[in-house]
Amino acid sequence: MTTDINQIRSAALSAIKSTDSAEALKDVERDYLGKKGQVTGLLKGVKDLSIEEKKSFGKAVNDLKTELAALISARGKAIEREAIDAQLANDWIDLSAPGKRRKRGNIHPLSQTQEEVERIFQQMGFTIIDGPEIESEFYNFEGLNIPAYHPARDMQDTFFIDKAPDEKEGSLVLRTHTSPNQVRTMLKYGAPLRIIVPGRAFRNEALDASHEHTFDQLEGLMIDKEISIAHLKGTMQEFLARIFRKDMKVRFRPGYFPFVEPGLELDMSCVFCDGRGCKTCKQTGWIEFMGCGMVHPNVLRAGGVDPNEYQGWAFGAGLTRLTMMRYGINDIRYLTNGDLRINKQF
Amino acid sequence: MKILLDWLQDFVKLPSDISPEEIGDLITKHTAEVEEVEHIAKKYDKIVIGKIEKLWKHPDAERLNLTMVDIGESAPVQIVCGGQNLTEGMLVAAALPGSKVDVHGEGIFEIKEAKIRGEVSNGMICAGEEIWMEADNEVGSKEDVKIKDLSHLNVKPGTPLSDALGMKGVIIDIDNKSLTHRPDLWGHYGFARECSAIWGNPLSLLDEFLYEGPEGSDTEVKIRIERDDICPRFSACVVAGIKIAPSPQWMQSRLELAGMYPINNIVDITNYVMLELGQPMHAYDRQQVGSDELIVSAGKPGVKLVTLDENEQELHDEDPVIYNAAGEPLILAGIKGGIKSGIHEATNEIILEAANWDAVLIRKSSVRHQLRTDASQRFEKRLDPGMTETALRRALKLIMEICPGAKLVSPLSTEGKWTAPDLKISVRPNSVRSKIGINIPTEKMVHILASLDFGVEGDDTGLTISVPHHRATSDVDIEEDIVEEIARIYGYDKIPAELPELPAKLPEPNDERQYKHQTRNLLANHLGFTEVLTYSFYGVDRIENCELKEEDHIHVLNYLSEDQTHMRTSLTPNILAVIEKNQKEFPEINIFEIGRTYKEVGDYMPQEEKGLIMAVAQKEDPFFEAKGALEDYLEAFGLSGAKFQASKTPPVYAHPKKCIDVMVKGQHVGHVFTVHPGVLNAFEIDHNVAIVELKFSKLVERGLDKLSFTEPPKFPGMSFDVSVLVDERCQAGKLKQAIQSAGKLIETVDLFDIYQGKGISEGKKSLSYKIDLRHKDRTLTDEEFKQTQTSVIEALTKAGAELRA
Repeated sequence: MTTDINQIRSAALSAIKSTDSAEALKDVERDYLGKKGQVTGLLKGVKDLSIEEKKSFGKAVNDLKTELAALISARGKAIEREAIDAQLANDWIDLSAPGKRRKRGNIHPLSQTQEEVERIFQQMGFTIIDGPEIESEFYNFEGLNIPAYHPARDMQDTFFIDKAPDEKEGSLVLRTHTSPNQVRTMLKYGAPLRIIVPGRAFRNEALDASHEHTFDQLEGLMIDKEISIAHLKGTMQEFLARIFRKDMKVRFRPGYFPFVEPGLELDMSCVFCDGRGCKTCKQTGWIEFMGCGMVHPNVLRAGGVDPNEYQGWAFGAGLTRLTMMRYGINDIRYLTNGDLRINKQF
Repeated sequence: MKILLDWLQDFVKLPSDISPEEIGDLITKHTAEVEEVEHIAKKYDKIVIGKIEKLWKHPDAERLNLTMVDIGESAPVQIVCGGQNLTEGMLVAAALPGSKVDVHGEGIFEIKEAKIRGEVSNGMICAGEEIWMEADNEVGSKEDVKIKDLSHLNVKPGTPLSDALGMKGVIIDIDNKSLTHRPDLWGHYGFARECSAIWGNPLSLLDEFLYEGPEGSDTEVKIRIERDDICPRFSACVVAGIKIAPSPQWMQSRLELAGMYPINNIVDITNYVMLELGQPMHAYDRQQVGSDELIVSAGKPGVKLVTLDENEQELHDEDPVIYNAAGEPLILAGIKGGIKSGIHEATNEIILEAANWDAVLIRKSSVRHQLRTDASQRFEKRLDPGMTETALRRALKLIMEICPGAKLVSPLSTEGKWTAPDLKISVRPNSVRSKIGINIPTEKMVHILASLDFGVEGDDTGLTISVPHHRATSDVDIEEDIVEEIARIYGYDKIPAELPELPAKLPEPNDERQYKHQTRNLLANHLGFTEVLTYSFYGVDRIENCELKEEDHIHVLNYLSEDQTHMRTSLTPNILAVIEKNQKEFPEINIFEIGRTYKEVGDYMPQEEKGLIMAVAQKEDPFFEAKGALEDYLEAFGLSGAKFQASKTPPVYAHPKKCIDVMVKGQHVGHVFTVHPGVLNAFEIDHNVAIVELKFSKLVERGLDKLSFTEPPKFPGMSFDVSVLVDERCQAGKLKQAIQSAGKLIETVDLFDIYQGKGISEGKKSLSYKIDLRHKDRTLTDEEFKQTQTSVIEALTKAGAELRA
């Protein structure tokens, strides 16, 4: 009987090995391990054996069953794998064809810049403030130390609203800068204060590639007991480095804005040539970035803050210009002309 | 303002080891913005004096001449020229090949050798306007063209034009805006003072430039100031023995380089003094004035004065005016002279005037008469009244040098209530250091201030600064002004960059701002809308296109163009314009804008509202695309439970039957609507457009939903579909409610199909619902399922729906 086992085993092994399809393998399985299979058949003669022999023969048949079952399963997996491999070898798609895009919209570059600017200043402890776009002459000018008939009004061509002026606040204007919020915020919150005011401003200027009557400004104001020009330099250097994602230098030169004293212009190292000199910076290595200075005591007073106790600085930067520099946009009109071929790039 | 380096060097030595560009850069860093450093001779490169040796007609062109021109070379060269005033022997400006000229004032053009109608031309003979001199021809004129006759220069042919004209040296062009607060810098002497402080070289005293000779006694100018508020100080004198002639070439050159045209010796001297000292002057023809009395007063309304530009000005009672004894107005003081009393060729006696005028009155008057002159732009900065007599003496010195025979026949008269100010400022050196943020020693501060002519007393605990009168007209009057003087001369470059310490208290969050950014992100990156920014105004055409009322709008008084006259009350008009602009390029448009609208509400300040608009434009009516986008947005944004209802008050530009109100947290926050077809026609929009208009501040003012979470169900649910036929005007929303209330086990009701058309009878539509049932604590029984199904069908039937097979 042992001889039968050995014969059946070697026949089964070669049958499994030579099988090359799932169907044939099923036949082999049935031939040997099925109810009427050869291995099952071996057990038919077992009744004539002694108890000892029964035990050892039974074990040998079960071992053979287990072994064959494992081999059949392994062979089955191998056949499956071969079929997949054959399929893969034949597969082909055009990998250069475009992906199927989801529908995506676009955020205006000015908004993207504004959000980043706000995030950076918030990290430096600044609060973000809003204010009216239709302003009174008082907040737009007088409160900022620019009395009527002051020559500095020439610097800000103003849109006026067709409405009778108020005795105290004067005519209504479209704010020519975000600076009116210096006084408004001081009156509301007092000192100390650190705020930025990003927002729309208007100047009555003819439109060309670098002038818009509608543009966005970024006002900044920091008031405390020991705030200095050195802090302004540090803050702006840090801000510019973060927004342009590289080391930036800034420099000051004298400038004139009636609401600051000393008044300063801040230049930044040219972002296009890193200060080496190029066409954009007219070979100077510097780009004019913003007006700024120490808040004039008259402005502090207009905001109800005691200039003997507090001091600080303010700046007004062009958010629109900053956006143009970030993206290399060469014509300011592209930002508001509503041409979706432009808006859809961002 | 143009500053000539040569002229500066009359008063201060400039460093010789650095370039003019570096000088300009240092002036920018310490004083005022230099816009350009211009090397004058460069402009005149390869332009030389030529002498016309021979002149004859071009054989092939009626208006052209041929010339042989001596340009100082071994042989003369041939040049073709259209100048009709050419004569043999004339000296001209010959632009040789390689030179650059301003052709007919139309742009810079490089001269090359050329053949003109078959004749060789080795250059060009220039007209005044082509070489930055006084124009010989009107712009665009082609008839009777003239060239510049330079015979009076009397120099050898071949002399570089820049040498012949004295057009040499370097101009530093200063941005006038950066001088708004510096009345002392509107002349060369003021800049010389700054240079002296920057480089530490001594400044020449003015004394040596002033007339200190004998005063006359033949007559005396009587000055009567009737209005103290108009004129704080007035100086004048009489000079006889004048012969009007051109001023010397050196003076003409300086004037031209500084941007003024030479006129005659006397006028040039007054202008020269203005450019040098910043003090405008005026010279009257003594005969025309009639007597030696000048009366300072305001304009008499209705009286007219013809100014030097030959325009008639009607005087106003706030105009500063000077009258003669007969009460005739002579000049619009501080702004422009009168033509009658001005200097002319026959003038031989003059009254010379240097006066100071109230800055605000000058500014108002200059705006009123639309006359911005070199004088008015200086006076409106508040000039130092102390300069009037100094300027007079400077002019006298020049007159004596330039006009032989001239004689001062009167004393110098000065009137006015002005007295030299005694302005002192207390300065705490510690405060200066604290504001600048760098430890500048007190001695250094003292040194800087002294170099700028400030008087300084005191020590480290406190300084008392005396302000010199040229800085005391409003420019410097508080400690902060002194901080600026110290910081700018010390050098802003030396200030370190320091970060302020972060405050212990966190900044207040600006939720609305945050929500705006979140909204942009959702609409753009999740829902496929593109952000646009439009102007805050529009014009009457868009108001009419949208059927809005013009009177509901805030009107801009001095608008730039007809399409920017009114402040927007809605974001829709400008958005429709964007759609119109893009409709050809894009078959489907999804855009949004967050912006303000402006409304008159009866208070002084108008009401500004922040709005959000989303617009969908496509061929088919996109109402449900817009509504769906809004639902998606609100859900993702965190504003669940929005309610929609047919709008009883749709906007005028909305389709009256396709407009819903949007209610969020119990507030009406806006509309969703299809744009009125009439409005689309008016905008010439071919697409159909649906719009979501929301009041953004209202939308978010009650905050977003509380953050929460629902566990997924533990037990399986069951579902069935049901299709019904209903009247085509039956509201799907109502039917949904009917289904929803038909059984407690109904979890969701989803309308997945609305169909009208083939197989459905006229006036009817088919609605198909998928209805999900679930019990949260156990598996449903078949009994429950059947019961619910039955009651749903009953409810639908009751609601008038007919079950489809």
